Amino acid sequence: MVCSAFVRRASTAINIIPTGPRTRRSVKIATGRKVAIKKIKVGQFKDGLDMSAIREVKFLRELKHQNVIELLDVFSSKKNLNLVLEFLDTDLELVIKDRSLVFLPADIKSWMAMTFRGLEFCHRNFILHRDLKPNNLLIAANGQLKIADFGLARDFADPGYKMTCQVITRWYRPPELLFGCRYYSTAVDIWSVGCIFAELMLRTPYLPGETDMDQLKTIFRALGTPTEDDWPGHTKLPDYVPVGQFAKTPFRDLFTAASSDCLNLLGKCLIYDPRRRISAKDALNHPYFFALPYPTHPSKLPKPAKKEDAVPLEEVDGNVDQNGSGPGVKANQPNNKLKRKHSSDELGSRPVARRLDFTKS
Amino acid sequence: MSTSLYPLASLAQVEKTPSREDGIPEELELDLRAFGCKLIYEAGVLLRQKQVAVATAQILFQRFWYVTSMKQFGIGDIGMGALYLASKLEECPVRMRDLINVYDLLLQRTAHRVKYPPEASAGPEFKYVPMSYVGSTFYDLKDALVVAEMQILKRLGFNVHVVLPYGSLVNYLRLLGLTEREDVSSKAWGYLNDARVSLLQTPVYALYAVPTIVSAAILLATRQLGIALPSSPEACWWELFDADWEDVWSVAGYTMRLYRERSPDDQARLLRLVSKKGIRSWLEENAPTTSKS
Repeated sequence: MVCSAFVRRASTAINIIPTGPRTRRSVKIATGRKVAIKKIKVGQFKDGLDMSAIREVKFLRELKHQNVIELLDVFSSKKNLNLVLEFLDTDLELVIKDRSLVFLPADIKSWMAMTFRGLEFCHRNFILHRDLKPNNLLIAANGQLKIADFGLARDFADPGYKMTCQVITRWYRPPELLFGCRYYSTAVDIWSVGCIFAELMLRTPYLPGETDMDQLKTIFRALGTPTEDDWPGHTKLPDYVPVGQFAKTPFRDLFTAASSDCLNLLGKCLIYDPRRRISAKDALNHPYFFALPYPTHPSKLPKPAKKEDAVPLEEVDGNVDQNGSGPGVKANQPNNKLKRKHSSDELGSRPVARRLDFTKS
Repeated sequence: MSTSLYPLASLAQVEKTPSREDGIPEELELDLRAFGCKLIYEAGVLLRQKQVAVATAQILFQRFWYVTSMKQFGIGDIGMGALYLASKLEECPVRMRDLINVYDLLLQRTAHRVKYPPEASAGPEFKYVPMSYVGSTFYDLKDALVVAEMQILKRLGFNVHVVLPYGSLVNYLRLLGLTEREDVSSKAWGYLNDARVSLLQTPVYALYAVPTIVSAAILLATRQLGIALPSSPEACWWELFDADWEDVWSVAGYTMRLYRERSPDDQARLLRLVSKKGIRSWLEENAPTTSKS
């Protein structure tokens, strides 16, 4: 099954360190480059390869951008599929949670710019990410932010082709999906980015609903219940239920220190009507990114102090279950056989997938 | 996608496919490829699968035989695996049991047709005998399916990027001013996509770029309908689409080959060779003659 959790080991050792069934293991390979290996178990009695594994391979093979995680190689050993990904130090969630760090408005602007750049690239290539959250925005040693975990991604469907609405971790899920909308587009990712934007300023999740119903209530409490003018036709969505009337809390009351440009962009990301929500491309051209203060250079962004073995495995496990709402997070494998350490020589001689001899056209 | 090119077979792979290296003659290999694709197509129809998934499956299937010999894997298993994988890639997964049942039915039906050719009209009507629900047949096929799916991915280097020709066809026809002629559109579409004979049943998708293939479909359609297109030097219509005449002609040749009449014996032989076991025993029987010739 898929590991949706990242365990990063600041390992300087040459050995692969087995850390559990659904972990990323960092390895130092012959080139000296540190990589992360995402191990995917192929279920014996399941339906062959997992959809999320296939999606991840399919999309990451094609996407190359400085703000999207790079898939270096794929190989399979007996029962596993292994994705070799570039090694990244930390993720935005850990940065947000680290209370010792202070964010300047310029820092937030920098992270947002990188997120939008990566997302714009995905959207330009007709790919929806469908699981954006701080935890999936990884940060490299040089401070570059990279979008990761394409296990729920898919290419846009033809208009009129149904897609599932059971995607995106609940706190970042837009209202149209909560209402069961089966036809949607890039706007779903933008809503998630809006939630992340707010979270960067608040340092705590902006819309933490406990159930899908509660999520709607939380959204409406923060942004006001939409009227037919705000969002034409929303009452006709398949799972529409009235959840009560709430008045909008002005952004200004909550985000006291933010500039007006900043709140304008945030507001445009969190527009109820998906058709009017800002696109990633327009967001990049928003005055917010051109106003002072300019975005911090990635290498100067705050990051958690380096600790060896920063994340104990148990904590990651708990963390995953807590977010367990989307279909992508159902991984929970009992098969916890810890192998003895492999030496790096063994890695080299392991039967690696035969490279395809196809020449590029 | 803009960022990556889709893979084509190298010259060495085309000159000597792994199957030919194992002693399978070229004609037979092409027939088996076509038969495998036909099975995928029919299974797709019975499963009501989306056309894009079926086409993707056939292209992956054709590519696969440039890196693997038919002695190692049967066309039945790989066809099933390709359809299963392509369905996931195109976000319309099928159930394993459905897929396996459909393949079982198709093979039984083909066997029946070979035994009692429809022209003879003397044979009994075809009756499908379902496999036993608890028997091992299903589980054996299921295991083979899982292996096939993984092997396709692995041997193609996890590169499953496929470009389908349909969009290009529409644009090219529009450019040539042929959209008014419905017969041209439907003929050309048929060459891309027909059940009996289509370009998908030939290896061309692993050999030539999509514009060349689409040009060949247009060439076949217009020739058949007697429509003249500008074809003298300096104004050759295929040059608009970056296609070479030689290549277009060769793609058309691959298609026409499918029309060659097969004797019932040939068809019976194909059916026997759907599994790798069949191929192996055929190779043993025919080994002395092939080495002599």
